[in-house]
Amino acid sequence: MSQGLIARDVVMRFGGVVALDGAAVEVRPGLIAGLIGRNGSGKSTMFNCITGFVQPTAGRIELDGTAITGLPPHRVVRAGVARTFQTPRVDLRATVRDAVLCGFYSLGRSGFASAVLGLPSVTREETRLREQADGVLRRLGLAALGDQQIAKLSMGQVRMVEVARGIAAGARYLLLDEPAAGLTQSERDVLAETIRVVASSGVGILLVEHNFAFVRSLCETITVLEAGRVLSVGTPAEIAADRRVIETYLGTEPAALVEAA
Amino acid sequence: MTYWRARTNTLVLLAGAALAGAVAARDAAWLDIAIAIVINALVALSVGLTFGQAGILSAAQGSFAAIGAYTTAILTLKLGWSPWLALPAAISLPAALGYGLARLVARLAPLAVALATLTLSAMVEIVLRSWDDLTGGYVGLAGIPTVLSGHPIAFYALAVGLLAIAVLVYENLMLSRFGRALTTIRADRARAMADGVAVPGLLSAAFALAAAMAGAGGWLYAHYFSYLSPGSLGTELSISVLLMMVVGGARTILGPVAGAVILGVLAQLLPAQEVQGLFYGGALIVILLVARNGLLGLVRREGAL
Repeated sequence: MSQGLIARDVVMRFGGVVALDGAAVEVRPGLIAGLIGRNGSGKSTMFNCITGFVQPTAGRIELDGTAITGLPPHRVVRAGVARTFQTPRVDLRATVRDAVLCGFYSLGRSGFASAVLGLPSVTREETRLREQADGVLRRLGLAALGDQQIAKLSMGQVRMVEVARGIAAGARYLLLDEPAAGLTQSERDVLAETIRVVASSGVGILLVEHNFAFVRSLCETITVLEAGRVLSVGTPAEIAADRRVIETYLGTEPAALVEAA
Repeated sequence: MTYWRARTNTLVLLAGAALAGAVAARDAAWLDIAIAIVINALVALSVGLTFGQAGILSAAQGSFAAIGAYTTAILTLKLGWSPWLALPAAISLPAALGYGLARLVARLAPLAVALATLTLSAMVEIVLRSWDDLTGGYVGLAGIPTVLSGHPIAFYALAVGLLAIAVLVYENLMLSRFGRALTTIRADRARAMADGVAVPGLLSAAFALAAAMAGAGGWLYAHYFSYLSPGSLGTELSISVLLMMVVGGARTILGPVAGAVILGVLAQLLPAQEVQGLFYGGALIVILLVARNGLLGLVRREGAL
């Protein structure tokens, strides 16, 4: 049994379209892995297969040695795999604390009936969850924003809140869907630092990104997808030097592209 | 008391109902109207929960009330049960049916779910009209035993008590993790799934709870008017409680209750039955122009909590 979130030989067909054709990716505890590729290369489909949002046609997804292939999303979350969305449709009037509290849903022990009856145990649990939410906010340096409305945050702050919400329930693996999209350079730096903090606490992270510079600066390993298959796997330096990756994904002038990104 | 500070809706309702009761008690006709308004408010509250929180546009809340009413009528008339003993049955039968229906359709698109509730409502009406032996068919059921028949104010207090319990239960739900999850589902179902919410299960539980509220409204109706026919409750009530919800504000807990009061009182002030439809339509247009989130939505922009 090996520690890690491991997807192997994943095949996903939508009707006649083959989105994934034997793709694979590995995430190790405490490490940051990147998943890159052109539009339509199967990144998002892979992401959705791992998190249970779609059921792969074939293949195996393992969480620390246990198969989680085909489980519904809420079971995958309870097993310890959290995800964020590129553009979540969140309730803009909710406060940051409430948004993070939503991430604690699966830690709640009280049932629907006791919640509706307003039993004292539910009130106690609610108080405890609020304290835990404040703890998560402090850990990510968001404590000052607790009572702020989501609508008043910058895009960078919204992404940080999404990260906080993702790790709230104690996820061992966190999958981030293009977290740097639409952020300014300084926001990206803050986000990168947050991601490192989360990883250093032992959480394995998978980044799906377009921004190669961002991935390169953060990740220990990078998997490049092309047409539903793994084109290359390696360290950022290896990927940046890989001829096939340069031709299909980075373009002929990798140095220029990295600068531009 | 921090418990009650977080549950202001229940306190506001009790205060408002006490005041209204004190005013209405002077006049038997107004007390009668007040009781009818409280019964409507209970069904309107149930549609507020299904639509305002769970996002399910239900055209079946009147039918759940009818099921509650017929359940208690049949148990008391045909089996000689005490009305009090029949109350749990009048609440749990609609809840069970609501849960089953929601489990079947909760995965579908919102419009499909709305149509499913409309279908259920048509089916209930057909059963009520054609199962002569049990429901009395077109003729209906007469002579349902009344409760607290001494003075109507006692029945008013009972109705307000049931409504207050429903508001409290609704408020408890919204203060819990399940309430937060419902709010998330309405904004973004995928986001809720990623929080670890089993979406169809939670929607079904909320829908069942709302159906239980409507069932309690039906129980009150049966034991107050002591007569039931297929036209008493049903599709027409389903539509008018939707209107009450829109007028008062779907997202606020007390919005549908306020809508029931406003439309109930205005209906009395209007002269002829024939022009009421025109009036209702006009009121709806004015309110949607002035306050898109309903009247309480205008007062309280903070939402359900």
